[in-house]
Amino acid sequence: MSSATTSQAAAEKGSKASTKKGIKETLLTPRFYTTDFDEMTDFEEMEPLFNTDQAEFEALLQEFKTDYNQTHFVRNKEFKEAADKMQGALREIFVEFLERSCTAEFSGFLLYKELGRRLKKTNPVVAEIFSLMSRDEARHAGFLNKGLSDFNLALDLGFLTKARKYTFFKPKFIFYATYLSEKIGYWRYITIYRHLKANPEFQCYPIFKYFENWCQDENRHGDFFSALLKAQPQFLNDWKAKLWSRFFCLSVYVTMYLNDWQRTAFYEGIGLNTKEFDMHVIIETNRTTARIFPAVLDVENPEFKRKLDRMVEINQKILAVGETDDIPLVKNFKRIPLIAALASELLAAYLMKPIESGSVDFAEFEPQLVY
Amino acid sequence: MSASTALNLGSLCSSVVNLPTHYSHKPSLLLHGTQSQQFLTLPNTVLKGFSGSRNMKSAVAAVDSSDPAEKQETERKKYYFLVANAKFMLDEEEHFQEQLFERLRLFGERDKEQDFWLVIEPKFLDKFPNITKRLKRPAVALVSTNGPWITFMKLRLDRVLQESFEADSTEEALACTPVNLEFEKPEKWTAPYPKYESGWWEPFLPPGSQTSKV
Repeated sequence: MSSATTSQAAAEKGSKASTKKGIKETLLTPRFYTTDFDEMTDFEEMEPLFNTDQAEFEALLQEFKTDYNQTHFVRNKEFKEAADKMQGALREIFVEFLERSCTAEFSGFLLYKELGRRLKKTNPVVAEIFSLMSRDEARHAGFLNKGLSDFNLALDLGFLTKARKYTFFKPKFIFYATYLSEKIGYWRYITIYRHLKANPEFQCYPIFKYFENWCQDENRHGDFFSALLKAQPQFLNDWKAKLWSRFFCLSVYVTMYLNDWQRTAFYEGIGLNTKEFDMHVIIETNRTTARIFPAVLDVENPEFKRKLDRMVEINQKILAVGETDDIPLVKNFKRIPLIAALASELLAAYLMKPIESGSVDFAEFEPQLVY
Repeated sequence: MSASTALNLGSLCSSVVNLPTHYSHKPSLLLHGTQSQQFLTLPNTVLKGFSGSRNMKSAVAAVDSSDPAEKQETERKKYYFLVANAKFMLDEEEHFQEQLFERLRLFGERDKEQDFWLVIEPKFLDKFPNITKRLKRPAVALVSTNGPWITFMKLRLDRVLQESFEADSTEEALACTPVNLEFEKPEKWTAPYPKYESGWWEPFLPPGSQTSKV
């Protein structure tokens, strides 16, 4: 993300300085999602999509209306003090962390707000839940953006809304992808929180103290997508569903692993071993996801981590090619074998024997289960 | 964190040990208890009645104005629950612990009476042979009078059995058989933080079944 490199200019001109440089998009930049809203509101086709087991949705609505974090996101003077102490490389990488997190939360806000608006007539309960989730995301994004102001920066969220490219996903993919991103968000935040609680010498900026309550929001959001998936058994019960489940698990885990390794200085800055942190988050997210997806990856198989580590190395080489002085044509040539190698590792990881999983509500063998 | 508040709540609850929680029209029962704890036996004030004289006065006034001969009705309420073996409920699901503390904190903030409990080896399971025949013991139930919340928790926990029953009092609903719980350390631990400590569930146990805190 290039929007925060000149902190002085930004301080003088507010966030406008960042917009002049434009937005550097890479494959791993946090994405803004959009979906086929018309497909989602095509009443005849989509109405059954949101219409089963209302009890679960009513329960979720009550839970979201509770608003556990209504009074939680309150700042104090510790923030500015901590930010002023941070200089150099650590400061830069912190700013980047805040930016990326803010962008991710804000993109969630936009998606949920739009869905809440569009689904009002199709299913008012589900629409209201989306609106309440957008309330949560707005709070998170706002809090992160205020954090950026401690570093004399701010994301121009209005500009981002208009200027970002949106990645288009068909509705059912939104369910898989967003479920995973919410649950992985929960595990990332709670892991950082609990690690810093046990190792307070690395608590260099107070925002992490808020993560424990914060991440419960993410966890609840994931539960809502779980209910949406359950309302659509065809997303969970056949061989296609299993293939998609594995695909989304793989994309989300690999993206996080590669992204985090590129920013290893941040995780090391708060006292974590980046790869161990990521593996823990992946293992726990996978275990959680096994409660709903019909198939998940065998992430605890040591071969899975070996593949991830090889992908990291290849990715580093791809990035290194980009940094050389060669002309773009030469760079692309050099990248081809590397990208092929990456694709091969990804495919091999995808083809690893999966773990059968899913909710007990759908398990054929459920009557034999002992709880 | 709310742990300290929760523990305080727990220790206060444990002081209610021998008091009936259902209505009584006998004025003498209202003033039961030691001098330092001015709680009331009327439900809805069990957890609130610690601010002392103010509540005592209003309770006395209520007794004075009511007809002593009038029988107060017992409230038959519906209790919803989820149940699974103790290891799953108390040792494996760390997010579950976080949720319960969050809810307890919220209830404290909004001055709401606790309506959810963890019950170890609940006696009400005897009414559900279809459940007990497929339940590893010891078992632990999450019980609440809030039905939709239990439905939400089922969605979250998934690997639990869900049912409901009616009871005349909270005490009857939450009656249980004391069990000593000890869990083995997990074989594999990948987290960069230590596991939550055993005994976290104390603040959620029904009043009277908590071990006393020194």
